[in-house]
Amino acid sequence: MKRLAHDVGLLLLTGVLAVSATFAWRHWTGPAITSAEKQLQSRQRLAVLPEGSFDNQPLDNPLPRPAAQRPNSHILAAYRATLAGKPSAIILVTQTQGYAGPIVLSVAIATDGRLIGSQVVEQQESPGLGARVGDPQLHWLGQFENRQLNDHWALKRDHGDFDQLAGATVTSRAVIAALQEALSYFDEQRSVLLENATHE
Amino acid sequence: MNRFCLLAVSLVPMLGATRTLTEGATIGLCAVVMGSMHQLLLAPLRPRLASWAYALASLLLLAALACCLQMALLAWSLPLALALGFYPALLCLQCLACDLLLPDQQRWRVLAVHLGAVFASCLLLGASRQWLANFADLHLASLAPGALLLLGLLLALYNRLRPGSAHPRRQGKL
Repeated sequence: MKRLAHDVGLLLLTGVLAVSATFAWRHWTGPAITSAEKQLQSRQRLAVLPEGSFDNQPLDNPLPRPAAQRPNSHILAAYRATLAGKPSAIILVTQTQGYAGPIVLSVAIATDGRLIGSQVVEQQESPGLGARVGDPQLHWLGQFENRQLNDHWALKRDHGDFDQLAGATVTSRAVIAALQEALSYFDEQRSVLLENATHE
Repeated sequence: MNRFCLLAVSLVPMLGATRTLTEGATIGLCAVVMGSMHQLLLAPLRPRLASWAYALASLLLLAALACCLQMALLAWSLPLALALGFYPALLCLQCLACDLLLPDQQRWRVLAVHLGAVFASCLLLGASRQWLANFADLHLASLAPGALLLLGLLLALYNRLRPGSAHPRRQGKL
């Protein structure tokens, strides 16, 4: 009986120490985790803009999103990048359905409606096939840079302008549709997205 | 079936989280830290607790260690933590198997050799997978089945190059 009490007591002590150490560790690393998350988010979303093309903190002021959504993709957020008080680009974060799950893209669009660049924020596509959509070596998203809404937004096999990702037709079509819809969203909401920029 | 089969669970993080050299080095380092911390913390408890209480204490400590490790990864290398996913947490299984298999005599020496071997394998796997995927354009190497094949090849190479006759355990017999 004494042995059992001894075991239980020691076990409880271990448990209390383990739990309190975990909480102390969490308290200590909490701020670092928050700032790392913020940094990662801004890097993922703002990497589409060339260095020096903006001087504000676009992520601090999300733009109101008009309700008009596209059929195949969903605009999650919109940000305005400004340079010397003038809007230089709009960043749209858009989500579309890929082959294995949702794909979230960050798309930068210049004020003249030209696509500056795009980047994958989140995806769950098949490793080695659709997952290569964001592969910096392959640079598949690079072919959409400087394209406009009136280009042929489709794969070459669908009589369009663009190469597909090898073995990932569904992913390629989804991304192309999402980019085209982001451009058309910008085109439609241009006045809302760009207005009031000078009053900030 | 023998108790060394338990060590097969350490293959899961080793194969799943060694796509690149950085990932391999990180998961190897995590394995070393988790394994040694777990044994260090358990050492004072081992002679003092009955076996059922010892198993529970071991689980409690592992849970705390895994949480702290995950938080440390999130805080100091978030992109790497996201790439590694749940594999650092799976190192717990490896630590449990290790604790069960370590002999009573020369416990620390065997542990050091084991952790060193795990770390070296992770590094080697990471480096060769990254090299094969990027330079040899062998895409299979970046997937988990490719990693298993590669590990088999590396073990066969080790057995071939190591001087002296191979211990039966390295020939797959026990």
